[in-house]
Amino acid sequence: MFLYPRRGIAFALIALVLLACGESRRQVNAARDDFGNPIHLGPPPKRIVSLSPATTEILFTIGAGSRLVGRSRYDLWPDSARLVPDLGDGMRPNVEAVLGARPDLVLLYASQDNRNAADRFRAAGINTLALKMDQIAHFRRVTALLGALLHDSARAQIVIDSVQHTLDSVRRATAAVPRPTVFWHIWDSPLITIGSGSFMNELVEIAGARNIYADIHGASGQIALEDVARRDPDFVLAGPEGTRQIRSDPRWRIVRAARDGKIIVVDTGMVARPSVRLGEAAVSLAKALHPGLFK
Amino acid sequence: MRRFRGWYWLALAVALIVVSMIAVATGAVRVSLGAVANALRGRGDPTAIAIVRDLRLPRVVLGALVGAGLGASGAALQGALRNPLAEPYLLGVSGGAAVGAVIAFALGAASDAVITLAAFVGGIGAVFIALAVARVGGRSARTDMRTLLIAGVIVGAFANAAIMVALANASPNNIRGALWWMMGSAVDATWTRAAWLGLSLLMAGGALVYFAREIDVLSLGEDAAASLGVDVERAGRRAFLISALIASATVAAAGLIGFVGLVVPHIARAMGLRAHRPLILASALVAATLVVAADLAARTVDAPTELPLGAITALLGVPFFLIQLRRVT
Repeated sequence: MFLYPRRGIAFALIALVLLACGESRRQVNAARDDFGNPIHLGPPPKRIVSLSPATTEILFTIGAGSRLVGRSRYDLWPDSARLVPDLGDGMRPNVEAVLGARPDLVLLYASQDNRNAADRFRAAGINTLALKMDQIAHFRRVTALLGALLHDSARAQIVIDSVQHTLDSVRRATAAVPRPTVFWHIWDSPLITIGSGSFMNELVEIAGARNIYADIHGASGQIALEDVARRDPDFVLAGPEGTRQIRSDPRWRIVRAARDGKIIVVDTGMVARPSVRLGEAAVSLAKALHPGLFK
Repeated sequence: MRRFRGWYWLALAVALIVVSMIAVATGAVRVSLGAVANALRGRGDPTAIAIVRDLRLPRVVLGALVGAGLGASGAALQGALRNPLAEPYLLGVSGGAAVGAVIAFALGAASDAVITLAAFVGGIGAVFIALAVARVGGRSARTDMRTLLIAGVIVGAFANAAIMVALANASPNNIRGALWWMMGSAVDATWTRAAWLGLSLLMAGGALVYFAREIDVLSLGEDAAASLGVDVERAGRRAFLISALIASATVAAAGLIGFVGLVVPHIARAMGLRAHRPLILASALVAATLVVAADLAARTVDAPTELPLGAITALLGVPFFLIQLRRVT
């Protein structure tokens, strides 16, 4: 044994890794999805239907894109996702269309709306996971879970680490700068913004700003325009469509930031998804909020 | 007036069977006719079996039952209240059922059974309120049928307002479920649901057919009915209550599907039916066919997206109604 000390160390390392993998797989096996159903790890799934943009993005990034046999209408990133058959809505999905794709794994967003569909997939004998994707921690959890399901935890961990690394470096870069206040415009009529339960609130804080509606505890909430004016944010964040609405609607003139043109146009396809582009999203927000920090 | 002949019954039944067969054979996923036939017998590909036996078949059965219930209760209400506009939707039943379901949604009820039960309780509640209002509103202690109609409309309007207030404060997650339910849909059809609706239809529908003679007399007018020895108030209330029970059961099973209860009895009358026993039965058959056809359109026209069933019934029902109206006048 001592003749080949390096080999001994290598064996020990491999054994450790195997042990660790076995441990994490056991943990996942004991876990439940967000509808409270137990998660089973069998052989890696070969035909996956992913009905939420975030899980589709994660699957492509960890190299399982070719296993996708169905996606929701809104899963358009990466471009190759468009080649996967579109099965319609991800909320209250068409059960027949999903069954017709003959999946061995279905991934759903864990909304009450999807409970019936999840029950039906399960009844048809299909491994079904309903997953919450509202916070950055959920992204980490779901990526690790998908890695374990696909027997490629190492790759999933690389994705998690690289996103985390980018988020951490943005957080460090903005740690010492003054923090402007922002209002995130999600929807017009009714006016909806993000609350502290959303990963977008986390992104705002990482990018060195404060959400004026962090006192809303859920992921989002409905508010009144005059209250936005009263809270007087330094910036308004909105998607391209929202920006058009704000610019064309004279009522928005009561909000100082909108009046002064301090509107930051965000790429909704990127920043509105708790997925593999979280790091990129944080960088783009930080650049828009603190142009001096990034040269 | 043209006479309603025996073979009309056959034609109505055949139409329902043919439409149902097409509906079982068609859907978002292409399943060949041979595979459908095999799947019905539980043979062949498990996916096809799941699609045909667990998704399409209960959906077609539920659609037919919902239609039958709406058609029968519409025919009975129009006769008993002597008003061609009477239908479960106008009379607050559906509004009440919707309030029940939306309250259950807003409280975060996840279970199907709870929401169904809440809708049922809401519908029955609305009926009793309407009956009570009609009794108070009438000058005497008896229930006036005209006041009952108005009371129903008012209760319905109140229910709609209550729904709007409840939805304005609900989370977006709950709103989608509630809206889906208010637009009517057979998408959540299961055998259990179909069985419950079938059972309630069998009992309440049987009662309607049993009391059809009374409705015949009521439809002559209150004075004529009274002179023929019918207790107008009791008979009217009975018909109203049974129809409302049926309508609540359909709303609980598939949400709000408007227009069927209003239009189909007119179509049945245009076929030459006058007596309420055959009128109720024919309305049930025609409405069942209409709803199965509408649901087929709802799930195939824009597949894989589903369209609201309530809107499709109106889109299909109105032209049919206009053609019949033209032929009669």
